[in-house]
Amino acid sequence: MTVLLKRRSVIPGFGITLGYSLLYLSLIVLIPLTTLFLKTASLTLAAFWEEVTSPRVLASFKLSFGASLIAAAINGVMGLLVAWVLVRYRFWGKRIVDALVDLPFALPTSVAGIALTTLYAKNGWMGQLLDPLGIQAAFTPLGVTIALTFIGLPFVVRTVQPVLQDLGVEVEEAAASLGANRLQTFRKVIFPSLLPSVLTGIALAFARAVGEYGSVVFISGNMPMRTEIAPLLIMTKLEQYDYAGATAVAVVMLLLSFVLLFAINALQWWNRRKYGAR
Amino acid sequence: MSIEVRNISKSFGKFQALKDVSLEVKSGELVAALGPSGCGKTTLLRIIAGLETPDSGSILFHGEDATQSSVSDRKVGFVFQHYALFRHMTVFENVAFGLRVKPRPQRPSNEVIRQKVTRLLELVQLEWLADRYPSQLSGGQRQRIALARALAVEPKVLLLDEPFGALDAKVRKDLRRWLRRLHDEIHVTSVFVTHDQDEALEVADHVVVMNHGQVEQFGAPEQVYEHPASPFVYNFLGNVNLFHGRIVGGNLQSGSLKVAAPDALAGEERAAIGYVRPYDLDVQRARTNGSTIEAIVQHIHPVGPVVRLELLRRDTQDSLEAELTKDQFRELALSVGEHVFVSPKNLHIFAADYAI
Repeated sequence: MTVLLKRRSVIPGFGITLGYSLLYLSLIVLIPLTTLFLKTASLTLAAFWEEVTSPRVLASFKLSFGASLIAAAINGVMGLLVAWVLVRYRFWGKRIVDALVDLPFALPTSVAGIALTTLYAKNGWMGQLLDPLGIQAAFTPLGVTIALTFIGLPFVVRTVQPVLQDLGVEVEEAAASLGANRLQTFRKVIFPSLLPSVLTGIALAFARAVGEYGSVVFISGNMPMRTEIAPLLIMTKLEQYDYAGATAVAVVMLLLSFVLLFAINALQWWNRRKYGAR
Repeated sequence: MSIEVRNISKSFGKFQALKDVSLEVKSGELVAALGPSGCGKTTLLRIIAGLETPDSGSILFHGEDATQSSVSDRKVGFVFQHYALFRHMTVFENVAFGLRVKPRPQRPSNEVIRQKVTRLLELVQLEWLADRYPSQLSGGQRQRIALARALAVEPKVLLLDEPFGALDAKVRKDLRRWLRRLHDEIHVTSVFVTHDQDEALEVADHVVVMNHGQVEQFGAPEQVYEHPASPFVYNFLGNVNLFHGRIVGGNLQSGSLKVAAPDALAGEERAAIGYVRPYDLDVQRARTNGSTIEAIVQHIHPVGPVVRLELLRRDTQDSLEAELTKDQFRELALSVGEHVFVSPKNLHIFAADYAI
């Protein structure tokens, strides 16, 4: 470390910028997280365990992680398709479609939530069509999954897009000239090259979906044991002045998020190592 | 297997890439398609491969029409300028790819594939890289792997698109000699595209010089170099001095120079240009018999096997470039600013309306 600090650089102010960065990170990230753990520490281990394994909490975890997983999987397939269309074809209005992909990013989540609820409610545009089929979207886990799919789409598209662009048509032509048919070309050449970025995109979409709150609360209806997601449960517990209980749920979510982040990083590291920096 | 290109035309929107191109490559030959960028040489190669469909005309392999058959049916090996290796596969798997995607009844066993790939890697002298990924290889190594991959399916025709274009000068030179030796070994009919005249003239059996989507000349390297069919070919295959002038009374008159014109041009009075290579200019201190041009020495570049002189014509104020051997230069003992007398030893005359 001393070697690093003493090394002369053309850019001045290494000491002060590093110091500032550390201070900033501490204020913004570390202190709130520490408080979270300190608050949870007011519970005994047994009480903590009882809190996080109570049926209502478990049901919320199951919904949050289950719906997020399904949503991320859907986005994996559809996001790949959208990225493919945006990279490989030229059509009128391509720029607009490209911009639309970012909409779930840009839209305030509550706006998205209200819009989706209006659409999928029994008398909404989509709800009207689904109701005769016996499918109810709003106020069911299905609705939650729809909302989470909506907000997760850009992650897959934006991670796959540059990789696909980089892949180029030449490798496909090479595969064809070697006698591969279209299916073989996709299965053996294109898909394996895209897989790491698709996985990264899915992981990012999943991480985002687990933490999503604003767009879900409207469409889910928030019925305990049925359509109550974990972030909302934290909110409910806070409103009931059960601070320790809320933080206990929060700590579990925090740890799971850490695991996810770690997995994403490991995935990217594996990707870089395998195909080299190009 | 021979390749015959018959009256191929191809347009991309308003840009006409190929205009009625015809070409015949004999079985076992190595042919270079040479021309500046945008001349249509790569398009021609891609049409032969089936990666591009012509607007009109046909492609014949061994006398059989192949214009309608797809890339995978044509049994051509194609080597791309930027290698197009499969990044997620090892070198071994890259070379094995063409064998692994064969229809099940024709697919060789794993053992046969292993032997064949090993043999191909030995052929390109890279068997020790079998387990590496393409990103761990140098440019020259990647290109040789791309070649081995193309050869794995035993193509009847090998097509190479600027195969050495992305490599540095030294590696290029080594690789093109290596390609020539390889071709002498396996004798597969090959066409390669290049914009480097040295590469084309050194490696190929025949050279097809292209410009603006048309074939300017087709012939053996020495024929193309010594007897260019058009001013374009003259210009493209090395440095050249231009003598602008008019044909008067059977002679080309350019400033104080007067040279007999070929019969085909001598008939009427018209504008014409004489082309002379720098080493075909005779430089003397004293006026000699016959027609000469007086010039002033402007620069002397003594580096390399020849001495290059930059001269300024006194009659027209045009620049000339002459190349002397070291011995000739020592004998003349020239310095900048001195007057010399120049006469062309070997002059090709083309009518000036011939568009380049």
